Amino acid sequence: MLLLQVLINGILLGGLYGIMALGMSLIWGVMNIVNIAHGALIMLGAYLTYWLFTLWGWDPFLSLPLTIALLFVYGYCIQRFLLNLIVRAQLFLTLLITFGVEVVMVNLARIAWSSDLRQVTPAYAGANFAVAGLTVPYVRLWVFVTTVILSVVFLLVLEKTRLGRAIRATSEELRAARLTGIPVAHIYAVTFGLGAALAGAAGGLWGMLFPITPIMGGGLTLKSFVVAVLGGLGTMMGAIVGGLVLGLAESFTATYLGPTYPNAISFGLLVLILIFRPTGILGRRGAA
Amino acid sequence: MNGARWLPIAACLLALAVLAMAPAVVSPFMTQFLINLFMLAVLAESWNIVGGFTGYASFGNVAFFGVGAYTTGILLTKSGWPLALALPAAGALAMLFAALVGMPILRLKGHYFAIATLGVAETMREVVYNLEITGAGTGLVMPIARTPLLFFYVMLAILVAATLTNWWLSRSRFGYGLVAIREDEDAAAAMGIHTARYKTLAFALSGAFAGLAGGVFAYWITFIDPDGVFKVTMTIQMIIMAVFGGAGTIFGPLLGALVLASVSELLSTQLVTLAEVFNGLVVILVVLFMPKGLSDVIRRRSFRLRDVARNFREYRI
Amino acid sequence: MPILEARLVTKKFGGLAAVSDISFDLGEGEILGLIGPNGSGKTTLVNVICGALPRTAGNVRFKGGELMGLPTHEISRLGVSRTFQVVKPFRNLTVLENVMVGALFGKTGGARDLGTARREAEAVLEFVALAHRARAQADGLNVPERKRMELARALAMRPTVLFLDEVMAGLNSAEIDAAVALIKKIRGRGVSLIVIEHVMKAIRSLSDRIMVLFHGEKLTEGPPDDVLNNPEVVAAYLGRRYAERARA
Repeated sequence: MLLLQVLINGILLGGLYGIMALGMSLIWGVMNIVNIAHGALIMLGAYLTYWLFTLWGWDPFLSLPLTIALLFVYGYCIQRFLLNLIVRAQLFLTLLITFGVEVVMVNLARIAWSSDLRQVTPAYAGANFAVAGLTVPYVRLWVFVTTVILSVVFLLVLEKTRLGRAIRATSEELRAARLTGIPVAHIYAVTFGLGAALAGAAGGLWGMLFPITPIMGGGLTLKSFVVAVLGGLGTMMGAIVGGLVLGLAESFTATYLGPTYPNAISFGLLVLILIFRPTGILGRRGAA
Repeated sequence: MNGARWLPIAACLLALAVLAMAPAVVSPFMTQFLINLFMLAVLAESWNIVGGFTGYASFGNVAFFGVGAYTTGILLTKSGWPLALALPAAGALAMLFAALVGMPILRLKGHYFAIATLGVAETMREVVYNLEITGAGTGLVMPIARTPLLFFYVMLAILVAATLTNWWLSRSRFGYGLVAIREDEDAAAAMGIHTARYKTLAFALSGAFAGLAGGVFAYWITFIDPDGVFKVTMTIQMIIMAVFGGAGTIFGPLLGALVLASVSELLSTQLVTLAEVFNGLVVILVVLFMPKGLSDVIRRRSFRLRDVARNFREYRI
Repeated sequence: MPILEARLVTKKFGGLAAVSDISFDLGEGEILGLIGPNGSGKTTLVNVICGALPRTAGNVRFKGGELMGLPTHEISRLGVSRTFQVVKPFRNLTVLENVMVGALFGKTGGARDLGTARREAEAVLEFVALAHRARAQADGLNVPERKRMELARALAMRPTVLFLDEVMAGLNSAEIDAAVALIKKIRGRGVSLIVIEHVMKAIRSLSDRIMVLFHGEKLTEGPPDDVLNNPEVVAAYLGRRYAERARA
């Protein structure tokens, strides 16, 4: 019974990791930018949801579209007016500049909102239901359902729409995309905006399950990276599968080793995967 | 030997002599600032060995700093070793750790290497959180040091050693091998350079200096905990200092450390987090406007908008 | 005894054989020309022999010792050097520093200190007529200069056997003549060479023997005039139709 409970907890958490990684993987796959500020975007999404809830009493699930929209605009601007300026420089520089963005965002957040732990606690926060002896908190379930919906919508946008085709074309062959008249600078910005929107959504949902602080993002950036690599870089399905794997791994270690171990496991896992299987579980493409 | 060759060496010795006498003249507060400055400069020079010369952008050098800090911490508090033995042990253990971690990780390139190193640092913090010998989450409290000046001179000595090591790299066979690896690893191997061994040695050397700095830091600051010594921000500082000053040069990292430590100190008297915001802005501005670093700008004695514009034309989309 | 003996060297990528069952000998002080159309496996063969790619099968003996399975750097330490078809300069170093790396590493027994390496590198640059560019940054060289620097780096490694992979591509006629003279001078120093080249005039006047690769297999081997007039070789190079018309 415990085993089943742990399994369910892992899957519910995995959905959240999945959409985090989806955003990271998209930005990486299309523009070859490893966005260190990804966790800071998650943090921003979490605080937006928190303030909308605390100041005006907006339900965290209902305010999610607004959070997503704001993060999209924010991400669009960062790419369009900052990262696009150096997007073709060597990898180290693009990595470094997103590092700078993350440091600025996190510390401004510390100044503005202090380092106190906060949590989004709607009235239904504590409610559970039981099925066959298993306890499932409503919030966790709805968070999971939301992540599934977001993933599906996102994949549909990428696969079926003109915009999605433009993004994929740009990712495959930059020069050719430019020649066919795709506005590449705009597409890059939209791509980053989408990645930021997914991060923001993940943040908004995260705040209902775990405490939020300005520095919550650092570890989540790494986890998003772990999942993106675990699933195989650039494969969107891979990110979702990877998210589930990480969620399960953490759920099992937390239960069977102790609550302070999951992070050690995920980061250790990261290093091991990079060393032994840099193309990921589902990946086929070369590591370089 | 003519006069022109001796001039820079004489200037360095003079500067060193002035620094060595500083504690007698300046306020205790200033002495503390200098110790911190020396430490940051050691870290910048240490990062420079692997990030600047070898071209492997490590985002996890703080792991070596932390290993060094905990080695001294444990040896001082639990085993009762004197600092004279504990400190070399810290350097040696950090070096060994860097070599062992480096062997597999240095096969990775680009983003993968950067993130793997970040992962190593985070893993170490989490591991330390879970170990009893390290005091887990509560940390370790050091015995009180009798003489605060000790830290000043030990840190200065380590800085001199780190700077000399970088100087040696710039004019030795080993250093040329590292630079060749940075410029083109395949060509370097084809020219007879044992790339795996060179990279691992560079990583170990870098780890040794970071470990020594961490070892002194632990005793100086008297209290260490996982969040304090495995801080991601510390890695960022190393990178900023080296890149801002000019990666792959000898005095660039020193320059970067001086500028950043001073400005951070000035800002942090207002608000600590403001200094961090400043750090982040510096990273962004350096990447945008002078990717080759401050020392390159000084060397060419020009900071022309034309160069900036050319970089943008080349790199923007 | 030949200095380099290759036996049944094979390299497959996935199921595709890029090089199959190539055997040849290289005599001491000999220049062996290696020709073949694009994609015939010339560079792959060099990569396998120099350890840049693992072989699928076969053996290569250098002075009687096995090379296959050794890492790249050990092969170059034994005295087997190469240039790269797509030149790989150390961009942020000067020309002199680029060549110094060759003098510092390369075949065992090279310079240990920078002073010696600098003197050796200056001598090599003089030899390849690039001394006037010694202080220039490698990034700023034009194509012929880059090819020369690549050659200088390989020479500074004090090789016994030297592979030259299209060092004349992109050169004009006068520059080609200079390069041919230079390669003959290198052989005069006792170096055995394998020269990959598309410039027929150069390969004819340089080579003692020519080996032809086609689709990864050895088509023929022999004295330059025989090989270059061989109808099969002409067909491989220019297409069968051209060969028939030439005969008619």
